[in-house]
Amino acid sequence: MAEKRKKGTRIIRQKPDRRANRTILIRSLFLMVLFGLVVFIPLFFKLWQIQISQHDYYQELAVQQQTRDSTVTANRGTIYDSQGAVLAMSATVYNVQLSPKDLLETQETYREKVEDAQENGGTLPDYPEPTDQFVAENLASILNLEVEDVMKHLENKNSQYEIIKYRVEPEESEAVQEFITENHLSHGIYLMPTSKRYYPKGSLAAHVVGWVNPNTDNVGAYGLEAQFEEELSGQTGRVVTAKDGVGTELLYRFEDYYDATDGNNLTLTIDATIQSYCESILQEGVEQFDIQDGAFCLVMDPNTGAILGWANSPTFDLNDPWTVSDPVLLQYLEDIKSGGYTKEEAYTKALAEGATAQEAYDAAVQEAEKEVLYSQWANKAVTSSYEPGSTFKSIVLAAALEEGVISESDHFYCSGVAQVDGWNGDPIRCSKRDGHGDQDLAKAVANSCNPAFIEIGKRLGAEKFYDYLEDFGFLEKTGIDMQGETTGVIWSRDDFTNVDLAVASFGQRFQVTPLQLITAASAVVNGGHLMQPYVVSQITDADGNVLQHTEPTEVRQVISEQTSERCRAILEKVVDGGTGKNAAVEGYRIGGKTGSSQTLKGDDHTIVSFLGFAPADDPQVVILLAYDSPKPVSPGSNYTADNWYISGGNMAALKAGELMEKILDYLGVEKSYSATADVMVPNLTGLNLADATTSLKKNNLSIRVVGDGDTVTGQIPAKGASIPGGSEVVVYMGAEVPTDQVQVPSVIGLNVEQAKAKLSAQGLYLKASGASEFGSTVVAYEQSTPAGTSVDRGTTIEVRFTDSTASGAGL
Amino acid sequence: MVKRRRDLTVMQQLARGPIDIPFLMLVVILTAIGVIAVFSASYPTAMQEGLDPANYFIKQAGFGVVGLIAMFLISKINYQTFRGLSIFVLGISIILLVLVIPFGYGKSTVGAQRWISLPIIGGFQPSEIAKVGVIMYFAARLSKRNTEKHKRLPPRHPLSGLYAWLDEKGVLEPIPYFLILGLVAILMLMEPHMSGTILVLVGGASVLFAAGIKLYWFIGGGAAAAAGLFFIMTQTSYMATRLAIWKDPWNDGMNGRDKGFQIIQSLYAIGSGGLLGVGFGKSRQKFLYLPESENDYIFSIWCEEMGFVGAAIVILLFILLVIRGYWIAVHARDRFGALLVVGITTLTAVQVFLNIAVVTNLIPSTGISLPFFSYGGTALMIQLAEMGMVLSVSRQIPAPKQE
Repeated sequence: MAEKRKKGTRIIRQKPDRRANRTILIRSLFLMVLFGLVVFIPLFFKLWQIQISQHDYYQELAVQQQTRDSTVTANRGTIYDSQGAVLAMSATVYNVQLSPKDLLETQETYREKVEDAQENGGTLPDYPEPTDQFVAENLASILNLEVEDVMKHLENKNSQYEIIKYRVEPEESEAVQEFITENHLSHGIYLMPTSKRYYPKGSLAAHVVGWVNPNTDNVGAYGLEAQFEEELSGQTGRVVTAKDGVGTELLYRFEDYYDATDGNNLTLTIDATIQSYCESILQEGVEQFDIQDGAFCLVMDPNTGAILGWANSPTFDLNDPWTVSDPVLLQYLEDIKSGGYTKEEAYTKALAEGATAQEAYDAAVQEAEKEVLYSQWANKAVTSSYEPGSTFKSIVLAAALEEGVISESDHFYCSGVAQVDGWNGDPIRCSKRDGHGDQDLAKAVANSCNPAFIEIGKRLGAEKFYDYLEDFGFLEKTGIDMQGETTGVIWSRDDFTNVDLAVASFGQRFQVTPLQLITAASAVVNGGHLMQPYVVSQITDADGNVLQHTEPTEVRQVISEQTSERCRAILEKVVDGGTGKNAAVEGYRIGGKTGSSQTLKGDDHTIVSFLGFAPADDPQVVILLAYDSPKPVSPGSNYTADNWYISGGNMAALKAGELMEKILDYLGVEKSYSATADVMVPNLTGLNLADATTSLKKNNLSIRVVGDGDTVTGQIPAKGASIPGGSEVVVYMGAEVPTDQVQVPSVIGLNVEQAKAKLSAQGLYLKASGASEFGSTVVAYEQSTPAGTSVDRGTTIEVRFTDSTASGAGL
Repeated sequence: MVKRRRDLTVMQQLARGPIDIPFLMLVVILTAIGVIAVFSASYPTAMQEGLDPANYFIKQAGFGVVGLIAMFLISKINYQTFRGLSIFVLGISIILLVLVIPFGYGKSTVGAQRWISLPIIGGFQPSEIAKVGVIMYFAARLSKRNTEKHKRLPPRHPLSGLYAWLDEKGVLEPIPYFLILGLVAILMLMEPHMSGTILVLVGGASVLFAAGIKLYWFIGGGAAAAAGLFFIMTQTSYMATRLAIWKDPWNDGMNGRDKGFQIIQSLYAIGSGGLLGVGFGKSRQKFLYLPESENDYIFSIWCEEMGFVGAAIVILLFILLVIRGYWIAVHARDRFGALLVVGITTLTAVQVFLNIAVVTNLIPSTGISLPFFSYGGTALMIQLAEMGMVLSVSRQIPAPKQE
């Protein structure tokens, strides 16, 4: 049976080995093709697709998650004045950053320590538990924040970047650092360095320098900070660090560092000293003359066009541009708030929109606050224009001389009224109602005589006049490297009628920017070269390499050297006895032109100005000083509450003289001495009488001898003191030199002779300044050392005099 | 005292035949590359766990060396010995698969109990043994299928005619194998271990296929598998989400931060590599971005560091290994050798394919490690032991007849 089955099996089912092997062979080869080749083909396709076709896509996504891209703030460039004093600089301050995520770990660590201490009997941590509440309360109190706000940040438990305060001051960041150290919170609270802009000189040259807005990432908002944003800001750098999947930085795999390029530095033509003179002169004048609408002062080097000083009032502290500190503006705001004025437009608009009276009031106040801010930020000397008034006569003079239509020998007759063809209004009056009578050219300029200038304008003719407007640059921007420059408001050539010519001849009914005027005036006195004004003299990189140096640019020659020289001579007479005599400074030759111009605001709004230059024979500085609207004591009055006559000659020239003196002293311009000019007292000690007398005589001084010794043992004043020429020096020959002090008497209101006598009685010297002619109407209004002060004998007291009778609008 | 050649039996002499050098070299090269890849891919993980950065590398290298020695020793064994051993290997693996249910443990990352710890050997996956066991047993039995006695029902049995007919058509022949496969598969699915199950089925099926089991079984099996897969994919929510993530990994409800995370990170790694890669050791994705970067997803890191070129070279090495494996199979001295090698080779090939297909998101993810590369000492040892069996078969390939 078994045998049979076996046999049967063989017959039916046993396949030959060869056949089985063949099956295995074929099927194995099939598997070989399938698993050794076919299945891998799609893998190659897929890999190609991912690695080659979509490489950029995946790489970008991967890099995005793998790297932490943090920026490195570039140091913003520094702004220097022409002497290298820092006007604007950046310093490192800190942002206070919380990492709630890290803080959680710190809290965990603390709990572990406590548990550990309890279990093993160790000491408990000697600092309080760093709960969220604890951290929030302390930081809030250090940084002057609300506790809830800090808590809100802390609630973002997964976050590592919660900046709770930006750019904290060093005191605050130090306090935070201390808090961190004391409470072992270095894992959780971080001080991240960033930069802050500082203006070491506060409000100095505020309108020129401008400011950066810390709220918009330190981008320049105003002034040069905005104008030169690209130069100053530098190139923000980047640090790309690799991080792992849980956010830890892989410092050793630090990949890319793109250096921050520090911003470039600006060196200005502005001199901080001159600038501060300008600003204090403005501020003094504003207080002295009750100025309502601000003031401006420009100082230019006429030979290059470089601006040496540029001040506006009201001004503000660059470190805090949103705070109003100007007293006039504060008063205005106060008035608005108390309902003295209303901001009518805003008020009615708010009312019309359905606001309550209170809301309308708030809207009006808000509007006023905004207005005040814009007002204090405005750089009037370049962004707004005004009627130049009589100061413009200097330009007309130059044009007429250049064209040869007038000469120094010409005479002009002024009856007090001028007739102009085609003029229909009230007759055009001269400032002097009864007329200047007959006057030569220099006198007409010195008198600032309107009829004379109408005549000069007529001789020039509208066509030529207009040509000179163009040539002096009044129709175009000066091209200064400052933000927001505008041009004036001037007739078009086609509309320029004879009437226009007449009023334009004395600087009215058209507007120019102060910068245009001073630029043109510089051309008048510098030999005829119209220079392009500039405030940035140099741009240097962080390493001090000069990238750009501003060379003076002459736009064109407007008048000849000779004409310019003649203008200087004539304009010097304006200060030397003319309407500008209050600007005179003993020892300096100053030329200039006064101006009082109407404004669009109405009758009681006059801009009093003075355009001056010195030294007259070789001008080194040109200044333009103007006060906008001294407040008359009563509407229509020509006097302020302090009894100042409202005119350029009485106000601007007076202050300009002070300013000019300071600037010229500072610049080291040598004084040209007249008989009474100051001289230096020589050292006389040890000399005999004869030698002492000779020495004094050489210095234009006289001698008074006390004592009877052979040699000089003492002297008053001491050597090196500066006293007016012709004064007496007391020489002690063996006698005791008195060392007691004397009291300074008051000389205010006295004329020169009286003042001199009064001072001399106390052994003091008088140094008179202000007016150049000291007639009986010229009286002292200010003395350098207040009355009652004790001083050494022989001290020089400076007294400023003013001619109280100088009068007339349009001067 | 070395026995002289003539003292050896024929079998012994055959077993001393020359080893297949190309296959050996491919294995050594792949193992070396794999261990180096583990070094690069594992050190951030090691550091994160507070271990020495080279911790994984040293272990893997150790297993690699021991594994290669073991491979060589196994290749010295006359593979006919495996015939007899096969039933025991299969039996032990089934016992272990049962034991793993109460005594096994899982890795927290997987959420399944696939590991079992044995004294001396340490922790390993019984499924690894089961794969070999199935292939060995199937090869051993199927190589004798032409001489096997066919059971018959008693002639008077009502179904005896039908039975004989079915037997003749080959319907009945594979049923025992299916039962074994079914048992193993069920045990593994209980862990659960889907990928292991697939590999066991594929390994077993390849031996059955090569041995000459009727093709309709495979056609039918394939159809059934496809239908089942289709059913699972469309009808079960588990697979449905897997499928959705496969189509769009970012669409996991958390913008790729949840279930799609791993595959997204894998694609980032592979994509970042580009043509030439970011350079050996310079992968960024291994820094705690790509989970299992030293294990199932080691090939992604390799792609990132070595680029398309490096990836292609490794795949080509695997292709050569697989082709050489089949070459050994078709040249094997007997059917057992052939089937054994076919099973092991196919298993390796499929494992390579599935791993790379998963990390490139060609197919939905299943946890399959890459032979020679993925970190895991016992897995590497078993892998190399399998290679040793192939090499053992290669020693007995008859020399080409001299012309």
